[in-house]
Amino acid sequence: MGDARVERLGTLLVDYSLGLGEGEVVRINSSDAAAPLVLALQRAALARGAHAYANIALEGLSEILVNEGSKAQREFVPDLALREVDRLDAEITIWSEMNTRAFSRADSEARGQVYAAERSLVNRRWERIGRGEMRWVGTLLPTNGHAQDAEMSLREYEDFVFRACHVDGDEDPVAHWQSVREELTARAAEFAETREIRIVGPDTDLRLGVAGRTWQPSYGIYNMPDGEVFTSPVETETEGEIRFTLPAVFYGREVEDIRLRFEGGRVVAAEARRGGDYLETLLDTDEGARALGEFAFGLNYEIDRWTRNILFDEKIGGTVHLALGSGFEDCGGKNQSALHWDIICDLRDEGEIYADGELVWRAGHFLEAPKPVAERV
Amino acid sequence: MSDQRIERLADVLVDYSLGAQEGQQITIEAPSAAGPLVREVYRRILRAGAYPLPRIGIEGMLENLMLDGSDAQLDWVNPARRDDIEEVDGRVVIMAPSNTRSLTTVDASRQARFHRALEPQRNRYLERAANGELDWVLTLLPTHAAAQDAEMSLTEFEDFVYRAGFLDKDDPVAEWKAFGERIERVGSFLDEVSELRVVAADTDLTIGVGGRQWIRSRGQENFPDGEIFTGPVETSVEGTIAFTYPAVFQGREVDGVRLRFEGGEVVEATATRGQDLLREMIAVDDGAKRAGEFAFGLNEAVTSFTREILFDEKIGGTIHLALGTAYPETGSANRSALHWDLICDLRDGGEVYADGELCYRDGAFLAALLG
Repeated sequence: MGDARVERLGTLLVDYSLGLGEGEVVRINSSDAAAPLVLALQRAALARGAHAYANIALEGLSEILVNEGSKAQREFVPDLALREVDRLDAEITIWSEMNTRAFSRADSEARGQVYAAERSLVNRRWERIGRGEMRWVGTLLPTNGHAQDAEMSLREYEDFVFRACHVDGDEDPVAHWQSVREELTARAAEFAETREIRIVGPDTDLRLGVAGRTWQPSYGIYNMPDGEVFTSPVETETEGEIRFTLPAVFYGREVEDIRLRFEGGRVVAAEARRGGDYLETLLDTDEGARALGEFAFGLNYEIDRWTRNILFDEKIGGTVHLALGSGFEDCGGKNQSALHWDIICDLRDEGEIYADGELVWRAGHFLEAPKPVAERV
Repeated sequence: MSDQRIERLADVLVDYSLGAQEGQQITIEAPSAAGPLVREVYRRILRAGAYPLPRIGIEGMLENLMLDGSDAQLDWVNPARRDDIEEVDGRVVIMAPSNTRSLTTVDASRQARFHRALEPQRNRYLERAANGELDWVLTLLPTHAAAQDAEMSLTEFEDFVYRAGFLDKDDPVAEWKAFGERIERVGSFLDEVSELRVVAADTDLTIGVGGRQWIRSRGQENFPDGEIFTGPVETSVEGTIAFTYPAVFQGREVDGVRLRFEGGEVVEATATRGQDLLREMIAVDDGAKRAGEFAFGLNEAVTSFTREILFDEKIGGTIHLALGTAYPETGSANRSALHWDLICDLRDGGEVYADGELCYRDGAFLAALLG
């Protein structure tokens, strides 16, 4: 059975994130690299009376499809696969890869076609989640590939990941995530009436309209680890400039030191020290790719370093992130795009954030703890 | 370094066994340990213009289900896999065991329950295959576990497996076509026979085969291959048979099996080891008491017992009989959750009579009969 932390992670996902019940059908999406977690999840699901099965992406097949498939084969979305999604009560995605750069040299157009086909299945899932028909959670089991991206040994990286998930044995994981739920729910409620967010930092002064939008707390239901509060900004109101000091990664490719200028909600100027061509390609994905779909605070302070993996990086305590592309309907977001690209802005040194002109955040921390929801009534 | 024989195996599976066509949907059903072969098969399905649909398993999941699953969980059939069976045009099923005994300690009734739940799905795919709507092929990628069962090193076992598939030859497909012609001659002879009698040590069994189809197995549905089989007339089997090799079912061995048939049904079943399992399997359902298959093994490159039925039933010079479900294309109506092949070696003194005439001796058909 190996690492007890993997078993605890499996139980946390099944019992807390998904709350699986008797007779429910759960699919575990994973590469073969994460087999130990697939097995732990299956055991936890069996203990709850659920029916668990795996959908395994064998390392190397996607690469063969991108490099050797025809356009029709790359774009193919089997009706069988769509109907399979329709039958699930819950789904778990484990994003573990042996080599995170397997597609660095692949033809972007070909990769994009395969990505679009995968995306149509993911969209189907989100439609069903939106209607309350299914649940989903995404996580990661450490591999050497991800440790290498994070510039750590596998052992160090495992300690980092399991600590961020609070499954390393020092505390009850479910109790921890329930306390996160309370704190972030209260934090999100404080922004309910906010009309404008202003981000100020080095080479950065950006105003986002958030009036009428809903802020969502994120406490381990959709992602593990977790810890963010996010919304979808008003699509036409983003104005100003922002500089991202941390590299942005999209499907294994890095774009460094991005600077964006927004007018009327849209990116009107973009530059990067490295990867500028790729940045332009992504901005040209479609009509919606130049507007923001997300603004969020990263609030997991166990995640204290950049690891080249968005699951962790967007939650780094003390950062904010913006996503170009599709917005979230449950936040009131209307932007539509095939792209959803999270870019992290590190505010831990000297960033400031104002809510309707009032300073609420400085150097990576809110100035005040949120008032518990009960006391606000 | 990659083994070129794996690439040749993939060539034969996709181009010869399945004959993959443009636009078809073809599942690749394999454990992750079969990765090297899965990748080559996937590549060739793409080359054929078809759509590969990988269904990859993780070693240990079946064990988890068997050890921890409730009755309801053992009974559950994944509707997505049932849809596959209804709709795909082809299946490539690859075995690559990591441990052939991982289920040895699991209660046999739990395994039987699990297999019973899957029976309708199994029957449905056999039915679609019999109607020509679905092509399938089953093969095995050598692993240490399979080599260990065959009492060989992995290198020796790889040589054995690839030789049995003629993959050591320059043009394996041409070899299979030539072998297919030899099997066809055996078939033409058996097509005219209404009763077979097998005589060997402790064995004297008669089997009615009149009106049944003899299916020539030339590498299309099993790989490697080399047998000819039918479904006996359900009520016809009479007499006794002693099986030569240990029979392996879900990782458990039953040794020294002897069966006595009356009116097509097993009326007495004994084993020197594993008799409880034998009787439990026969009691699964009514169809498990009847022979669903009778066959001759014809592959001369498969010479020794490996504990893997894919190979063992093809051993040149043996016959086998399967208790349980029949292949519908043979004309047999026998249906069961069970399909358990038992092998009888005829290479040393065994005889087969066709409608009273000697037609087979010491593991080979009499040359004069085959023209």
